[in-house]
Amino acid sequence: MNESVLLLTIVAAIGLGTPLIFATVGEIITERAGILNLGVQGMMLIGAVTGFWATFQTGNLILGVVVAMACASALSAVHAFTSVTLRVNQIVSGLALALFGSGLASFLGRAGSNPLVGNPSRAEFEPLIEGGIADIPVVGPLLFGHDILVYVSWLVAGAASYYLFRTKMGLSLRAVGEDPASAEASGIDVGKVRYIHVMIGGALAGLGGAYFSLALTPTWQDDPIGAAGWIAIALVILASWRPWRAVFAAYLFGAAERVQFTLQTLGEPWSDIPSTILAMLPFVLAIVAMIVLTSGKRARFLGAPEALGIPYHREQR
Amino acid sequence: MTRRFIVEPRGLASLRLRILVPVLSVLAALIVSGVFLAITGENPLAVYGEMIDAAFGSGRGISETLISSTPLILTGVAAALAFKMLVWNIGGEGQFIMGAVFASGVAIWLGPGAPAAIALPVVIVAGGLGGAAWASVAAIPRVYLGTNEIITTLMLNFIALSFMNFLIFGSSSPWRDPAVSTFPSGRPIPDNARLPEFFNRLDIGIFIAIVLAVAAWWLIGKTRWGFAVRIVGDSPATAEYVGITVPKKILAVFLLSGAAAGLAGGLFVSGPVGALDPRSLDLGLGFTGIIVAALAGLNLIAVIPVAILMGALNNAGPSLQSIGVPTATVTMMQGAILIFAVAGEFFIRHRIRRPKREPEAEGLAEAATA
Repeated sequence: MNESVLLLTIVAAIGLGTPLIFATVGEIITERAGILNLGVQGMMLIGAVTGFWATFQTGNLILGVVVAMACASALSAVHAFTSVTLRVNQIVSGLALALFGSGLASFLGRAGSNPLVGNPSRAEFEPLIEGGIADIPVVGPLLFGHDILVYVSWLVAGAASYYLFRTKMGLSLRAVGEDPASAEASGIDVGKVRYIHVMIGGALAGLGGAYFSLALTPTWQDDPIGAAGWIAIALVILASWRPWRAVFAAYLFGAAERVQFTLQTLGEPWSDIPSTILAMLPFVLAIVAMIVLTSGKRARFLGAPEALGIPYHREQR
Repeated sequence: MTRRFIVEPRGLASLRLRILVPVLSVLAALIVSGVFLAITGENPLAVYGEMIDAAFGSGRGISETLISSTPLILTGVAAALAFKMLVWNIGGEGQFIMGAVFASGVAIWLGPGAPAAIALPVVIVAGGLGGAAWASVAAIPRVYLGTNEIITTLMLNFIALSFMNFLIFGSSSPWRDPAVSTFPSGRPIPDNARLPEFFNRLDIGIFIAIVLAVAAWWLIGKTRWGFAVRIVGDSPATAEYVGITVPKKILAVFLLSGAAAGLAGGLFVSGPVGALDPRSLDLGLGFTGIIVAALAGLNLIAVIPVAILMGALNNAGPSLQSIGVPTATVTMMQGAILIFAVAGEFFIRHRIRRPKREPEAEGLAEAATA
């Protein structure tokens, strides 16, 4: 493979992987609290549309990101309410969130007399450093040529990792996800911990969504994120609930999404492979990885939170 | 305890409650959607009026509503069957598409020469087989390797969609119409494999779907085999103890669920669509089946009226565009309905009472948890 094609592919994979990092780390935090939230796609789309809207109104990117995170977090609170307070089925509730979020995002993008759809964003995230060290061959584009959110995503993964494994609050969080009854016995408010971390997860999903509408494709369209929210749910398992591994898993999937463009630049015979077949690649990769990683005895070492998806009944302790 | 309300598990909920909760879920969803419509400057009542008129206001509207409902009855059955047994088949979408691929493929392969009495049943069965085959890709790892089926079935949805796109847009497959070169589209399937229409465009697929839903209800509710399956759904440990081979039952339910979704796809191509046309098939009907199943409380008979309600919504969507309201209103409403339906489960499972006096309440609360 041509060296510059490889480099371009990796740089593109970092871009495409960034929203996946945010969403996956968010879902890891949520699942570490014992709550399965399948609504990532809906939360990301709400983040994408509200972030785009806020920036479209004000021209302010930071405000867009804040609004995206707040709105997606508010949507995730609905899931926290159904799964923590009402203790109903988390799988169906998460799917409901995904469907409602997708519908609402598409609705908001098209509603009103001046719909957002088709409009370019008034501002977008640009590479942080122009020229200078960003022009160093290979290392420049790989490390220094990105927009600020790429660096934020590394920071988020690092911070989440530190929080989960090096802080007292992280320990409480993991205790709630592993054995809520014992956690409660040691004085932890299980419900509160779960609410907070579901909403942190929602905020990060919203940030991931906003990355699509404010950095990757800064024009509003109906379906701006593809299947990123669904992929993120699979990435949580591939990353075995560890934030740092999520970074690498996300880039791997970013590369898988990029492959169709890369092969086109390589010319024949590679460019003859239909794009509809290459579009399957990330999903096939996810299934194969799932089967290999989670089958039989290996699943035990993967580190899924013991109480994941199981409603906690304080009264029935 | 300083709680003002006591929440306690309820035994069997009354029929009245089990009907009331879904009805209130729909009303609550209408209110939430109404708020969003109002925010964006629409009159919610006018929008809902337009939707009712489009779905039920004319003979044509009613027939189109029932056409939209037919696949939803079966994708609803697919989700209800699986979810009842705690098999989380989220892959109705992909199984629906593969059912459509198989059914249209067989119809094209049989050609116009085969008599309808043979072609029709074969094509419909092919749809079911296609769905079951696609479900098996997730079902076999689930049963024999313990692979989480939520994610595999989800991913298989996208693979099926890409595969259908490949057959029509990415290749010159037998599914693609060679006569149309301007824009790739599906090859029309021969008339002998098309379901007969009897009321406007409405075809007999609606009866097939209803009969299959009732058959599924009978199979699960009234047969020995269904009884064994229900035990597995309630408690795999108990089932194991009484000598039921649990993996076999889970596999069977998973494949039946896939077959139901596949039949939906088969009936849809041999009915209203008439070709493997991605634009007419990629409508999220598999996902909507999950809403149908949840709102129906996983009851296989209740799936039928609920599917008609969801079909009405789907059918009303495009008519909204004429009054300047996005079609996505319908998706938003359906998502909201599912949120309230799943939240409503709480009220079916639990009883909420307000205690009369504190000390007495304490005792009752303890009795309830005992």
